[in-house]
Amino acid sequence: MRTLVLIVNRLAWLIPTLLGLMVITFIISHVIPADPIAYLAGENATNEQIAAIKQKFGLDQPVYVQFYRYLLSVVQGDMGISLYTQRPISEDLLSRLPATLELTFVTVIVSAMVGIPLGVISAIGRNSWLDHVLRIFTVSGLAIAGFWLAILLQLLFAMRLGWTPLQGRIEGWGPEVVTGFFLIDSLIAGDFEMFWSAVRHMMLPVATLSFPAMATIVRFTRAGVLDAVNSNYVLYEQAMGLPRRVIVWKYVLRNALVGTVTQIGLIFGILISNAVVVEAVFDWPGLGLYAVSSILQSDYNAIMGFTLVTGFLFIIINLLVDIVHGAIDPRGTG
Amino acid sequence: MASLGKFLQRVALGVGVATAMVLSASVAGAKTTFVFANSSAYDSLDPHTVFDVGRVASRLNLYDGLLRWLDNPAKLENWLAESYQISKDGKTYTFKLRKGAKFHDGSEIEAADVVYSMERILALGKGAAGLFKGSVEKGSTKAVDKLTVEFHLTKPSAIFLASVPEIHIVNADLVKKNTKGDDWGQAWLSKNDAGSGSYKLTRYDPAKGFQAERFAGHFMPWGKKYFDVIDFRTVVEINSRVLGLMKGDFQGTDGYLPQDQVKRLKAAKDITVQEQESMRIFYAAIHNGRSPMSDINFRKALSYAFDYDGFINNILSGSVARNPVPLPNNIWGAPKGVKGYSYDLDKAKSYLAKVKEPMREITIGALTGYGQTEQAASMLQVALGKIGVKAKVLSEPWPVVSAKMRDEKQMYDMLFLWKSTYYADPNNWVGEMYDCDQIGQRNNSWYCNKEVSKLLDEAQVTTSQEVRAKNYAKAAEMVMNDAAGIFVYNTKWYGPFNSKVKGVRFCPIGNGQEMRWAYYE
Repeated sequence: MRTLVLIVNRLAWLIPTLLGLMVITFIISHVIPADPIAYLAGENATNEQIAAIKQKFGLDQPVYVQFYRYLLSVVQGDMGISLYTQRPISEDLLSRLPATLELTFVTVIVSAMVGIPLGVISAIGRNSWLDHVLRIFTVSGLAIAGFWLAILLQLLFAMRLGWTPLQGRIEGWGPEVVTGFFLIDSLIAGDFEMFWSAVRHMMLPVATLSFPAMATIVRFTRAGVLDAVNSNYVLYEQAMGLPRRVIVWKYVLRNALVGTVTQIGLIFGILISNAVVVEAVFDWPGLGLYAVSSILQSDYNAIMGFTLVTGFLFIIINLLVDIVHGAIDPRGTG
Repeated sequence: MASLGKFLQRVALGVGVATAMVLSASVAGAKTTFVFANSSAYDSLDPHTVFDVGRVASRLNLYDGLLRWLDNPAKLENWLAESYQISKDGKTYTFKLRKGAKFHDGSEIEAADVVYSMERILALGKGAAGLFKGSVEKGSTKAVDKLTVEFHLTKPSAIFLASVPEIHIVNADLVKKNTKGDDWGQAWLSKNDAGSGSYKLTRYDPAKGFQAERFAGHFMPWGKKYFDVIDFRTVVEINSRVLGLMKGDFQGTDGYLPQDQVKRLKAAKDITVQEQESMRIFYAAIHNGRSPMSDINFRKALSYAFDYDGFINNILSGSVARNPVPLPNNIWGAPKGVKGYSYDLDKAKSYLAKVKEPMREITIGALTGYGQTEQAASMLQVALGKIGVKAKVLSEPWPVVSAKMRDEKQMYDMLFLWKSTYYADPNNWVGEMYDCDQIGQRNNSWYCNKEVSKLLDEAQVTTSQEVRAKNYAKAAEMVMNDAAGIFVYNTKWYGPFNSKVKGVRFCPIGNGQEMRWAYYE
């Protein structure tokens, strides 16, 4: 019941949140002194041609009229068409979204699967040489710039050792699109060679994105475990004679993960923004690159569409995090 | 035992022969694929809405025009057109199409397709439409018969022929079938192919690029060697393009890389860097209509304050050619033996002393993401500081810059940028950049010299090549003497390819990206 109330409450906030996001993004993108039509029409276009195209797209209208029209079309499920490609924004976004989501999900999974155990080990062996090594690792993860790490990884693993591909999402053009996630689509096609190609192409971008994400998870898990280890219930469980392994991995970790799970939700949002750099370096055809080119071209509908979709995703992921949070927090399920 | 040995020998021989046959068959059947890493995204394949150099590969490989620019210096050759005639009054151009030329779907290319393509360009008003504004009216192009098309110009235009290669012919029936409302098939054509070019689209992903296979039925005979498949991919990062080329993931990339990367590629194994002087001039547009730049003495001071040699030799490692006028050195009509301005702060100071207008801080514009424009602006800023002129550098992205360039009030005091080749005619540079009629459109300097405009206007209507060349040379020199802009260099193209790639034909309009002549050695 508590979870249901949470979901209803969050969904009720979804609309005003997205509306606020739309207003802010619309204003910012339209007040920049850029003229996408002058850019679209090209250097050789005459002023009359530019004016005619502006009129056609309704860009000659006041900003509030343009926003009202945009809002109406979004309510009807239409995010408009791109000024440049003339294709529906939804079509352009859908063709790129799976690439970014696949990269982000795999990064979160890898970061959590490695980061949580390392956090626990670091806490248990507090101030040991292993803890110090992990501290160096986590501080580096938070301090090193993503693009620099990406290039270093490329030079070492792709160019010098030749273990991984340099860039791209897959060898060739990829499997028949079913979900857009190449790992899944290649399995659906029963093509294990392609699946392995997708895995290999994912290694360096995931490693680049995972490094800072993992560092955050290690730090939060370590702090959570240290906090929980000094609790009275742990003392009680020790007095009861429970094995240390059981106390740490079953009871302490569950309490410690509450903070980590919240961080994972935030990391998801950070990963989407970091993906811009990683997608550029690794030539990963995702939303990040699309957003950058849309901003550079002032393609208003594309900018709005990207912001709406990522905003929506961020809200949904955080809702899921809250649900998981409620499920794992022993105080809630006691 | 001996017979068993012979039997095994025969089996071994048979297996060997069979293996050799299979291998040779597979080698013979293997398709050659050429992968090109491009810096710009192929976000649309529509040949009538896109007109930039960065995405020229889709237009040149998937589509044909009546005429084609080839080689360097660029020559205008018959392509889909077998021949053409110009009427005495210079207003009617009649093109005869090749018989039997086909679109990728097998249908014949007819005059009606040319008419539709011209009308589509004019109706959309994007891409190359600006080239025809004022000379070709909607509805004026006529199909005389199945293979003859006539363009009726509103006034004689000497540059019309040079613009004809930009009329990429689309399959009218196919586009009409996929048209929604009044979109002229834009949504469909942005990701599909309705052309007749040397290559036929097989795959397209706006996020990745396009792949096309050789169109064996192309009207232009193929050589003995060619690429079966061409694959143009978007790779935004320079470093990723360079590393990918070195690793063998790509066989070619763009020819305007920074010099440090060119040096890196020249030193790499299995890479050949081809060098050609292009037609892309780097200059600073000066706002001639605003004080103090409206004073010729101030403009001359600016021209003498730029360190041309320092910029070319130190920053660009001598990789470009000094170009002192608003025309590339290598185009006909460019004045010969003109020295242009040099870096001389004493002269700059002496001209500055003659300026009567009140002095103020000036803004030097640059393009975000284009390091050279920022470096040039900073270099000039420092030099101006030495002669007592305060300047600030403002770097902004191209959509912002292109909007400001058209507005007299918003235009920067100065702006460093390039002028690329859209058609290989002097009008593309000095004619568009400095004609009074083009102010606020293609003339972003608010420069108006009636004498220069008279020369340019005459050059636009006369059919005498001699007169045109003379007029453009004189106009370019006058613009330089007026110090209407700071003219720095003409670009060189350093096309990096895998050493096995041969037969690349560079043309300043296509940047060596039309692949029908290229092959693996």
